[in-house]
Amino acid sequence: MLRKTFHLSDQDILLVLDGEASRIDANQARAHLSACWSCRSRLAALESTIGDFVSLHQRSLDPQLPVATGSLALLKARLAEAAAPPSSGSWRQFLQISPAHRTAAYICAVVFLGALGAAFLRQHSELRRPAVAEPSFAGATAIPNHKLTPGATRPVSIGDVCSMPHEEVVRDVPSSLRQQVFKEYGIVNPHPEDYEIDYLIAPGLGGTEDIHNLWPEPSNSAAWNAHVKDSLEERLHELVCDGELDLPTAQKAIASDWITAYKKYFGADKPGTSSKHYLSRNDSKVAETLALPLKAPA
Amino acid sequence: MLVPQADTIQELAFRAKAGTGSSAKPSAIEREIIDLFEQFRNPLLRYVIAFGLSVHDGEEIIQEVFLALFRHLKAGKPERNLRGWIFRVAHNLALKQRLANRKAQTVLNFDEAEADRLPDQAADPEEQAASNQRLQRLQAVVRALPEQDRCCLYLRAEGLRYREIAATLGISLGAVSLGLARSLARMERATQG
Repeated sequence: MLRKTFHLSDQDILLVLDGEASRIDANQARAHLSACWSCRSRLAALESTIGDFVSLHQRSLDPQLPVATGSLALLKARLAEAAAPPSSGSWRQFLQISPAHRTAAYICAVVFLGALGAAFLRQHSELRRPAVAEPSFAGATAIPNHKLTPGATRPVSIGDVCSMPHEEVVRDVPSSLRQQVFKEYGIVNPHPEDYEIDYLIAPGLGGTEDIHNLWPEPSNSAAWNAHVKDSLEERLHELVCDGELDLPTAQKAIASDWITAYKKYFGADKPGTSSKHYLSRNDSKVAETLALPLKAPA
Repeated sequence: MLVPQADTIQELAFRAKAGTGSSAKPSAIEREIIDLFEQFRNPLLRYVIAFGLSVHDGEEIIQEVFLALFRHLKAGKPERNLRGWIFRVAHNLALKQRLANRKAQTVLNFDEAEADRLPDQAADPEEQAASNQRLQRLQAVVRALPEQDRCCLYLRAEGLRYREIAATLGISLGAVSLGLARSLARMERATQG
């Protein structure tokens, strides 16, 4: 990283100041700084400018910041609402509603129970018929059939790929297309919880919403499931946006065999065993990454 | 962006303070979100209002960020580098909000907004005048920087590492390093007069 010049550049000095230079480069730079007054003077000037900027940034913006109490209370309330189960109300609340509304609710309940009963009888009679459409798991595999799902991409730039967090790019596949994918894989009466119609090459890596890029992936049943693949997609997105991997290589790796790609880019033979994946919240590395203060042992 | 009505906000805040919003205790994820909010609310708010957004818009963006984080963690998504994730989502939402404001022609002029925020601290009058002059020159340089370089500076000032800045802005590590060095050199020339 360090330029082969007599003096250090501003960029080199800044890399050292910010702790972003490699250990070798940092050692070389420190050795040079200890011997060179000119570069030490540049370092001091840069430090002074940083100090001025931080002072300006905080002093001009901090007085604008309201106290956090109100927004924290609002966030807590919104989180509680988001976390609450969808059912609402209690029997006590039900008894407090007006008689007219209560009567309407009784009628709705009777109609609902009637419909439920009819559905049960219909299902019961269907069970007596010869089975014609049992749920099939024959087509579900962790690796897609490459003849049906070779992967499909759209022309995208690195800027497009990296301008949004990976998870914001992913959209739900339309129902009609989902049905086509199941049909193509010969899966009849699929249970929604058993599969995720997944993109082979994720949209966040330039994959398209095309039947050649979609397949029914087992959700939870196997070790190599949709959640594990999501982790790989995040990892590849991060590597591409950090400039450590080029986009075509990432697309090819995930399209040809995503399990092999997972092992390669996480450096792990099994899901979740890499230090790069699902780190423990108590892990000091995570605390360091998040800049969270570590508690001293009692 | 969904902005609740004032009475809704007050109602939610009141219920939260009174503890009547939900009978259930906060989950581990909710507690984690609250911890992160307490840690990053001010840095995030400084960052988003530096885009020229109002404090009200900034507060709403931050609410959206932490609700998105709640959904992210609840869905079992990776917890690697949450600080980078938070700033990246805030950056994208701030850009969207600024675009929406410009379309509505209610955008706060960035230059005017920054000028209004110049420090006004009691000090020796001569010293204060010199300090203000230097800060005004510095501010003028920061305003004139390319937006990408300015964002690099703001994010670095909030403590983000180069790789986090690169991921937030969708640029390379080299671009972050070069942008910071270039901006500091410009500011230094300006403050030297």
